[in-house]
Amino acid sequence: MIRTAFAYERPDTIEAAVRLLAATEGSGRVLGGGSVLVPAMSAGEEQPSLIVDVSRLAGLRTIRENGTNVEIGAGVTYAALEASSVVTDRLPLLAAMVREVTGGPGLWNLATLGGAACRANPASDGPGCLVALAAGFRLQSVRGVRIVAAERFFHGAYETERAEDEILTDLILPAASWTTRTAYVKVKHAASSWPIVTASCAFAPGKGVRLCIGAASPVPILTEWAATEWPGADRVHEMAQQAAAAMVTEWADELAGPGYRRAIAATVAARAIRAVTEGMA
Amino acid sequence: MSATAGRPTAWLRCQVNGRAVERELDVRLLLIEFIRDTLGLKAARIGCLTGDCGACTVRIDDQVTKACLVLALSAEDRKVTTLEGARDLAAIQQAFVAENGFQCGYCTTGMILTVAELLQSNPDPTDAEIRRALIGNLCRCTGYEPIVAAVRRASATLQTATPVD
Repeated sequence: MIRTAFAYERPDTIEAAVRLLAATEGSGRVLGGGSVLVPAMSAGEEQPSLIVDVSRLAGLRTIRENGTNVEIGAGVTYAALEASSVVTDRLPLLAAMVREVTGGPGLWNLATLGGAACRANPASDGPGCLVALAAGFRLQSVRGVRIVAAERFFHGAYETERAEDEILTDLILPAASWTTRTAYVKVKHAASSWPIVTASCAFAPGKGVRLCIGAASPVPILTEWAATEWPGADRVHEMAQQAAAAMVTEWADELAGPGYRRAIAATVAARAIRAVTEGMA
Repeated sequence: MSATAGRPTAWLRCQVNGRAVERELDVRLLLIEFIRDTLGLKAARIGCLTGDCGACTVRIDDQVTKACLVLALSAEDRKVTTLEGARDLAAIQQAFVAENGFQCGYCTTGMILTVAELLQSNPDPTDAEIRRALIGNLCRCTGYEPIVAAVRRASATLQTATPVD
């Protein structure tokens, strides 16, 4: 049993949820799926005064098409993302990433992409993919609502732009039809392992290429090339080297010690770029 | 709206294996602890308490879920089904026996529930699909080969079986 006492609230509205959270002055925690927070409480790593369970707020569990955007509620589970034809049809890069999340159906039916974003574990699938997708993060608090761009959302390992009194309500994903080719590639050492390095690549004719290396450093590494710089398969190696060279700080953990991620980042990036370029004239 | 307002206990109302349950419990209780220690249903096990091993798998509203990742109070108004209460598992259980799909058996109850969900949505899975579905159910004994064989056998059995009520 969790060792420290806490209060538990399951508010019926997002407005009530942010009021409850604000009143704790930083000691409250938002319970989405629970796949990270609950075991952290079991281990004594998190000792919140209040749990605000938002897992049933209907508005947080919907996937909505809004013009050229797709808005994904922060409480949408990986299983719901995988089952969504909107995600499959309009966000193939996200769909590819979701299919690669480990944990099995017992986790996919529970865990949320929004929760993973707020956790900001460097060695996880969500952050890199969301940066590649140019996601917007809608944050709500008693002070109001704001939308933060992905490049500004992830501050460092386990640190985000989200303030302690804010709840992530939606991921806003540009899903214009011109993003025609995407690839998600990752290295992990066992089927049930957290990722070591990920690479998300998206090519949009007339716009260019976005490549994001995830899990290799505390925050995802984004590199963009304009469409005019797209010469095809012969530049894959050079582009991958360029993307990996943008790494400043390397992330290291028990799965891959210092030097490992830096050594393989360009290779993983090259695989993603190659997957996108293959078959192109 | 559910509120504990800092009290050490709260009331939980849910359905477990088809029966209404109403209990006052410690706010800190995990769902797996409520199922095992309060209700005495021992099929779901506690393995890692980190969400990795899948031994604690139960169904919440007919979806398999790792019950060590869920606070008991989060099950309010939910339909919880454990292996003891599931009625659609016999062919899968027999296939695990026939293929020696377990040794110590600790992971097996979670495996069975996860396989049932797989075969319901995908009655004829490939080996790769079987392995992907079981990615979150760890077994330290079998090496997985007999487990995959058991799922193949269960799939074949269920596809040829005449549906009965």
